[in-house]
Amino acid sequence: MFHYNVKHFNLLRELTISQLRSKDASSLLGIIWSFLNPLLFLLVVFVMFNLRFQGSIENYGIYVLVGIVQYTHFSNCTVASMTVLKNMGQLTGQTLFPKELLIFSIILSRTYEFVIALGITIMFAYIAGIGFSFSILALPFVLVLQISLVLWVSLILSWIYLLARDIQHIFHVFLRLLIFICPIFYPPSFVEGNFWAELIIYINPLTHLIDFSRSIIINGELFSATAFCWLLLIHSILIYLSFKTFKRVEPRFGELL
Amino acid sequence: MHAIQVDKIKKRFFVNSRPPLFGLLKENFGKNGKSQDVFYALDDISFEIKKGEWLGVIGHNGAGKTTLLKLVAGLLQPDAGKVTRNGVITYLSGFGIGMLEELTVKENIFMYGAIYGIERETLGKNLNEIIAWAELEKFSETKFKHLSSGMRGRLAFSTTRYLDSEIFLMDEALSAGDASFREKCAKVFEGYRADGKSFMIAAHSFDMIEKFCDRVLWLSKGKVTAFGDTEIVLENYRKAFGIEKKKKDQ
Repeated sequence: MFHYNVKHFNLLRELTISQLRSKDASSLLGIIWSFLNPLLFLLVVFVMFNLRFQGSIENYGIYVLVGIVQYTHFSNCTVASMTVLKNMGQLTGQTLFPKELLIFSIILSRTYEFVIALGITIMFAYIAGIGFSFSILALPFVLVLQISLVLWVSLILSWIYLLARDIQHIFHVFLRLLIFICPIFYPPSFVEGNFWAELIIYINPLTHLIDFSRSIIINGELFSATAFCWLLLIHSILIYLSFKTFKRVEPRFGELL
Repeated sequence: MHAIQVDKIKKRFFVNSRPPLFGLLKENFGKNGKSQDVFYALDDISFEIKKGEWLGVIGHNGAGKTTLLKLVAGLLQPDAGKVTRNGVITYLSGFGIGMLEELTVKENIFMYGAIYGIERETLGKNLNEIIAWAELEKFSETKFKHLSSGMRGRLAFSTTRYLDSEIFLMDEALSAGDASFREKCAKVFEGYRADGKSFMIAAHSFDMIEKFCDRVLWLSKGKVTAFGDTEIVLENYRKAFGIEKKKKDQ
């Protein structure tokens, strides 16, 4: 299914680096913003939720941070991937390379920021007195699932956007809703007893990923291996299907731009 | 052996401004099965390019030159007919596509090279030569956005000299260059010719076509008007439009 050679990996590397460089180009602090930006934002969120809104949930500031960091990664990757084929129209329509590389580069560059934000969250957790446990070594597994999720969603959105730009507006509305149907500010148990609310929360793949990260960072516990394997299987199937569809539409990209 | 074989290809486009999805739905599920809002950019085109042969493509704006090159490159799909390619293809449409404004000259060499599949090691080894050929020694750390269009063209062409392709498709790629740049490019092309590379060049200026192409394909409104020996086709073209040979064409 994936036929790539060294030249493709080289291109992916250049595209990813250029994404990161272009973002902070012409700024005095340059690449430092990649750290400073999430640090300042997460600091405000942490202070607000840790000091002001302490409720029944222990370490509420960190609890919210984990949710926000994962939601932001999902949102950043999918929104940028949706429009990348159009925004980089010259590359899409006038050069010969597998166009999914443009999407991969977006995901990689945003994942770099995600890893930094996750690192800052862990630092805040330590400051808040949570402490480290060996379970933190399992975080890369959550990262794999998170990347798998954004990959298939991005692949689908990118070609639908070329067919009908309306998807951009629909998806933005969906992202706003997603903040509330993800257990970012409340625990999943908050909707217990309401069948439809529970259904919506539990079929949302982000719910499980956020839950996994919270188990590791806050409780120092590993997530269920069975749940992980099931999610990996589901995401793998969805990646396969979305990739196949993407490759079917790819020859038409030139005229859909 | 043929490098490229094009067999009875047709390419149509929707002429309305509705989203592509609308056109596709109308085409597949509309009345009579087909949309009426289409025009044929290419209609029943056939030709072949032998290994090592250079083909020029001429015609007015809208004749279908770019569409044809994109179909041969595989960037567009024909609605009918078939394109057969035997060899690694590079499609160059204007130099500098993919270079980023915020990156420096050096960074852009690696970026541009990667887009066209040039190995990083090759670029690294020849970085100074690429910059020197482009006459940009003083600007190696300058951002791309500060370069003139001539400098951009030189930088891009200088990088593409390290491409390892068998078939080159060039669509007005040298249109931005001045006379001295074209002269430098001509020397590079002589090398390509000696190496047996196949070329397909679409251009309004006949300089390169006259100098390098073995045969010429003349397109008008998506159809072949003439196809054959360069001298004969260009002479007929000039006669048809009252262009004198010694003056600059078109």
